[in-house]
Amino acid sequence: MAFGSMVLLFGFLPLILLCYFLLPARWRGGRNAALLTGSLVFYAWGGVRLLPVLLASCVCNWALALLAAPGKPFFRRAALAAALVGNLGMLGYFKYTGFLLDNLNALELQITVPAIALPAGISFFTFQAIAYVVDVYRGTIPAERNLGKVMLFMAFFPQLLQGPILRYGDLGPSLTNRRETAADAAEGAVRFCFGLAKKVLLADALGQAADVAFAAGGHLTVALAWLGGIAYTLQLYFDFSGYTDMAIGLGRVFGFRLPENFNYPYIAKSASEFWRRWHMTLSFWFRDYVYIPLGGNRCSRGRQIANLLVVWMLTGLWHGSAWNFVLWGLYYAALLMGEKFLWGGVLERLPSAFRHLYALVLITIGWVLFRSASLSQVGEMVSAMLGFAPGGLWSGEAAYCLRQFAWEWALAIPTALPLKAWIQARLETRRAAGSRGAAVLLVWGPKVLAFALLGCSVVRILGAGVQSFLYFQF
Amino acid sequence: MEKHANRAFLALLLAVLLAVPAGVALWSHRETAAYYENRALAERPALTGESLWDGSFGAAFERWYADHAPGRTTLLKLDTAVQMKGLRRMVVNDIVLDADGVLVPFLDFHEWSEEAYASSVPPIADRYEKLNDHITANGGVFYFIGFPEQRIYFEDHFPACLNNHENEANAADTIFEDALTGRGIRFLNMERVYDELGHPAEYYSTVDHHYNYYGAYAAYRSILDTLRADGFDLPVLTETDIDFQELPNPYIGSRNRKLYNLWPNSDRAVIGVQKNPVPYTRTDNGQPSDKPLFIIQEDPAMPTTYNLYMGGDFGETVLETNRPELPDVLIFGDSFTNALETLLYTSFDETRILDLRHYDEMSLKAYITAHQPDVVLCIQNDTFYYTTSGNGNVWPEG
Repeated sequence: MAFGSMVLLFGFLPLILLCYFLLPARWRGGRNAALLTGSLVFYAWGGVRLLPVLLASCVCNWALALLAAPGKPFFRRAALAAALVGNLGMLGYFKYTGFLLDNLNALELQITVPAIALPAGISFFTFQAIAYVVDVYRGTIPAERNLGKVMLFMAFFPQLLQGPILRYGDLGPSLTNRRETAADAAEGAVRFCFGLAKKVLLADALGQAADVAFAAGGHLTVALAWLGGIAYTLQLYFDFSGYTDMAIGLGRVFGFRLPENFNYPYIAKSASEFWRRWHMTLSFWFRDYVYIPLGGNRCSRGRQIANLLVVWMLTGLWHGSAWNFVLWGLYYAALLMGEKFLWGGVLERLPSAFRHLYALVLITIGWVLFRSASLSQVGEMVSAMLGFAPGGLWSGEAAYCLRQFAWEWALAIPTALPLKAWIQARLETRRAAGSRGAAVLLVWGPKVLAFALLGCSVVRILGAGVQSFLYFQF
Repeated sequence: MEKHANRAFLALLLAVLLAVPAGVALWSHRETAAYYENRALAERPALTGESLWDGSFGAAFERWYADHAPGRTTLLKLDTAVQMKGLRRMVVNDIVLDADGVLVPFLDFHEWSEEAYASSVPPIADRYEKLNDHITANGGVFYFIGFPEQRIYFEDHFPACLNNHENEANAADTIFEDALTGRGIRFLNMERVYDELGHPAEYYSTVDHHYNYYGAYAAYRSILDTLRADGFDLPVLTETDIDFQELPNPYIGSRNRKLYNLWPNSDRAVIGVQKNPVPYTRTDNGQPSDKPLFIIQEDPAMPTTYNLYMGGDFGETVLETNRPELPDVLIFGDSFTNALETLLYTSFDETRILDLRHYDEMSLKAYITAHQPDVVLCIQNDTFYYTTSGNGNVWPEG
């Protein structure tokens, strides 16, 4: 089911909310069952044919985690190995078979490339499953005997398609013991509405500007390349963080506290800091399950470089089975190594504004690699950004992108900054000083704004539909 | 305060979440078409095992659900108003608002090359050549009448930053015309005719993709001049024979329709009332019809559209004037024919009109064999020149 669709907003959500909250709070198992059933219906709505993969993954990982739990060493290691091979094999089959065969065919092998339907969210629920089994193996968490709980952990619908990537250690206790309150529900609902608006009102509109630039081809100009790159930079942030807000908000309604995935990434002053603020649950996953097991920082410089290369190549590949994603991963590996071993010290001493500019330019170029359909388009876009554009400096398309989406540009930039947190802090200070106006604003402001944004978003959805989330393809 | 605020907010939100499905359940059967979007609303999909398995049910259900949301049209109209008047967008609902008082469509920045048109035209022109030969073999004469679409006629009105596809359209039109004339087909380029008449702005609607009645009349005279020059002795409706009347009704053009008719304009539909009407009998799709040439709303406050001419598009319309001394004509083509038909029939004995988008009784070739018209007019606006379906399906494949 498409997140942000009319069926989700005005069909599935009211139904699941009624089913869930009409069950007594003390019957936790019943409420979990309602959530699990709803989650499976949510997933199967896009095609029942995709459901067996998710179900098989849930059951196998549940069983293998039981075997991987502290006990007989042979079974433990075998179960862990089976879980890793099974999960990575499944991910590899569904996600990378076409890519692999296409590349083999480029070497003049003539292999038929099968049409494999990619189960939605497979990259996310597979990483959650691996984290769960590894954590059980390491003894960080106990194996869960209740299959339903493991299934709900893996298939919880708000985060099933695009994360945040959960750890069972964080979510597991809430499956047994959580409390749903009106305050949490209201806060969650407000966040959901804000997330929907980020996606529908900002990301989808800025995506149109990005599309103009990335489709310009022979009439690409320097201005259009930069506008396209910046538009995509903002689109991706509002698209993905909008989804995350919706997921975290819905989780809060049901009494869960899902981990944050973004922390205003575009205020970063370096590439390293950017990755501590962007898609944090993925970064932490790679840190905990790949980088540190490989040796992390506690090894020779050469080994560290090799570790970084492995992690970032995998990060690139995780995002998509194409060479431009690999290139994008290696681009960040190079930047992070540069900041760590070469220019990081100098960068630290530069004025803050310069460091912001440095980070934003590099991030934008990074997203151009990410968005490009091919390596040749990467070359066209980046060379245009560097001043070598076939259409010269400026074009009508660039003027159109600026004028047509003037409101989105004007709103997107402050929205990507921690303005909300700043306003909230100011209001709280004034409330603490006894201001009744500030107190009313703090209580009613977000709710009224959420309603207005929900209304505007729904109208947009009715008119143009909701575009697929960018991270949905990963 | 916060506790009450939270509860009030949640209650209101839940009420909204429940009101929409309730509205869909109660009223979804009421409307089957979206007038302003000029399309049928999605029908509720049938639930089948296959559609559930492959996910097509979910996608179809979403379309139906979104189409039948209560208050959808009102909300979309409100949104259009906000985009137009509040946010002052340059383009709203794919219509350019900054085009110097004229509504033109937003066109993609991508252009097809001259080579692409040159390589795609031969098979299309070959089919017209076969049609021309077939008409000649059946004792008739074929004319292709090409019209500029409104966006071409007003190409100078596009804002500088948008692509009006002027060069592309000029190249495509020239290649097409050359291909047809090179195969011996009589081609009347109405864009050139209008240019020779000074390219009057009043020939085309500012809010619709068609010409208006003045443009149609100028085209009629040009066609008649051409036919008479080729030896046909045809009566002509001169300007003194017609009383041009501007209807008081608001005119909803196709462009303004996409804007929920919110664009302020003074465009009015014009009709040409014959001072001494040529009597006729009419059949539509084989059935006798008492439809007049112009369908006029009795209430002057009721809006009217381009469909007022002949009542819109029909698969087949036949107008008989019972003047056997005059030749018969077959007209086929797009909706640019509609306004012309009200004039052309006066110059012929029998006027047969086909819209191949809707007519499926027999092929055009078989129709010509069956009715052997003296004159065959193909009327197309230039956005359809390279189309091989609908009215471009002039000759069977192979």
